[in-house]
Parts: sequence; structure tokens; C-alpha cells
Amino acid sequence: MTVILRVPAFLGVGLVYLYRYTLGVLFPGGCKYHPSCSQYAIDALRRYGLVRGIFLAGWRLLRCNPWSRGGVDYVEQQRLFR
Amino acid sequence: MILASPLTPLENVLRSILEWMGPHGTLGLPWAWSIVALTVLVRMLLVPLTVKQIHSMQAMQAHMPEMKAIQQRYKQDKQKRNEELMKFYRDNNVNPAAPCLPLLFQFPVFIALYLVLRHSSELIHGGDKVSWLGLVPDITAHANAHWTGYLLLTIYVASQLASTYFMSATMDKTQRTLMMILPVAFVPVLVNFPVGLVLYWVTTNLWTVGQGIVTRSLVPKKPPAPPKRSSRTPARAPDPGDGAKEEPVSVEPAPAEAATPRRVKRKKKKKARR
Repeated sequence: MTVILRVPAFLGVGLVYLYRYTLGVLFPGGCKYHPSCSQYAIDALRRYGLVRGIFLAGWRLLRCNPWSRGGVDYVEQQRLFR
Repeated sequence: MILASPLTPLENVLRSILEWMGPHGTLGLPWAWSIVALTVLVRMLLVPLTVKQIHSMQAMQAHMPEMKAIQQRYKQDKQKRNEELMKFYRDNNVNPAAPCLPLLFQFPVFIALYLVLRHSSELIHGGDKVSWLGLVPDITAHANAHWTGYLLLTIYVASQLASTYFMSATMDKTQRTLMMILPVAFVPVLVNFPVGLVLYWVTTNLWTVGQGIVTRSLVPKKPPAPPKRSSRTPARAPDPGDGAKEEPVSVEPAPAEAATPRRVKRKKKKKARR
């Protein structure tokens, strides 16, 4: 049962990997955080599932803007979901 | 279709800009040049977002010795090295890495342009001039239809490698190598793309390269003198003003900077103690 519940998150992780090796290559760029936004998305999906993972990854992407300071930011440090 | 529906408004915007620039519009450019102009327009709109990054790169030059020390210290551990570097950037309020968000704006533009060019019959009429520079016969045809398509793909790969070189300066080596190899692997897929899209890519990559060169030329090559002076004369450190201000900001790097000239000696001491 738990395995079935984790399928959507796995699919999400697959999509992130797909992004990495297609659009990510065609539009090279960095990330001002560690781990990078795509890695953060993968960690978030694995740890918090599809819905909360998407929210966390989206929030991270919004923070990865020219006016933020960047730095070290692991999924475990998130405060949106407790 | 799932992708197409939310992008339809953007597709319409791009189409009307292209029409405005195109042979029947105000500017009256040939179709190929309107694609180039549209690409340049998109990239120009994104420039304000990179200004902050350029300032950051300039500020970073002053911190070069400390950064090199961190890179040296965590030579083996990639994870730890990235972590420490990012911590250092944050503490000193400099970050040379490009943020991800501006990149996201380019994806919908690219996909919408792809859709516009795929349904080019709505835009480009029968009698229109679809050639470019007198060489490329038809920019709506697939890239493998004419030898110039292959030529453009070659330029694309070269420009892609160059732009990756500029954009991935903060990446680690293996990742960077992978990013340099993958565009070549994409060529068999890109061969089936319309030439106009390859044109978009070449233009946007060349813009990235140009921006990279300009950015680098704006950044002073030599770091300013103050950090050097402090490392040479540690005895004078109790300057009440500077020393007190700077040290608490960067807790770790400060001693490393002072230690760089004497690193060998200290290592020997440590070994002797053990």
C-alpha cells in the first residue's frame, strides 16, 4: 500500500530528471543555492510526496531569484510543512 | 496539447510580435530576421535580472583568496565544498551563481515559439520570402532538408558549448563535462526541428556568450589590495575599526586568509604534535 502511495512522487522525480537532461541542457544555468533547485525538488518529492513536494520546490524556485542571497538550503530545513 | 493550452496566450503574443516585425507588419523584416529580432527582444527584457549578478561578480573579486582557500580545504569532498562556498557567499552577501527563476521565463517563450513555427502556415503566406541570407532556402523546413541546416546545427553546437562554458562557471567538473557533451547527443533530435527554431537557439546562445564576455570584462582582473595587506601584516591586526567589523561576519574564512602564507608550517606542526 505504501509503495502505491509513493508512485506519484516517483513520477514527479522522473519528470525532474527528464527536465535535467533535456531543457536543463538546452538552457544551461546555475543555481545560487546548495543543493540546486532540481536536486531540492527531487529531495522534497522523495521526502514529502507529490503535492507537498511540488509546493516546496515551487517555493524554492521563487526564492531562487536575482534579489535573494542564496546559500545552503536543505529540504529538511523547510518550515512550510511540519 | 496539455502544454499547448496554457501557452496559447503567449503563443498569440509571440505571433503578433512576429507579425509586427514580419514582412507584412510595421518593421517589414524578412521572417528569419524577425525571429532573430524577437529572440534579442526576449533576452533584452531579461537583462535587468542579470545586473545584480554582475555586481555580485565584481564584489566577489575582493573575496577571491578566501574562496580559493575554501576550495583548497575541501578539495576531496564535493558536497562539503559546495556547502561551504554557498555559506561563504551568503555570509558575505555575494553570489556569482545565476538564479534559476529567470531561466524559467525562457522555457515558455521557447515552447510557444516552437508551436508558432510548427503551425507556421497561419503566419507565413505562400508568396512570403522564407529564405535567410540567400543561403537557407526555407526556415520552416526541417533542419535536415538542406545542407545549411546542418551548418546552422554546427553553429548551434558551438554556441551551446560556449554558452554552457559561461553559464556553468559555478558547477563542478563532472557536471560541466556532461553539460558540454549532451548538446551533441541532441543533434539527431534537433535535425527534425524547423530551421527557424535552430535560428532562435543560435541567437539566444550567442547572446549568452556576448553577455558572458561583457560581464567578464566588467569584472576587474586583480583583486584590490586590502585583503593582501591584512594577510601580510597580522601583527597590526588590532586596528579597532576594520578588524572588529570584518571578523564576526566571516567566522571561518578570516583565519584561513591569515594562514595562507604559513599553511605549510602549520601542517608540519600538526603532524609533529600527532
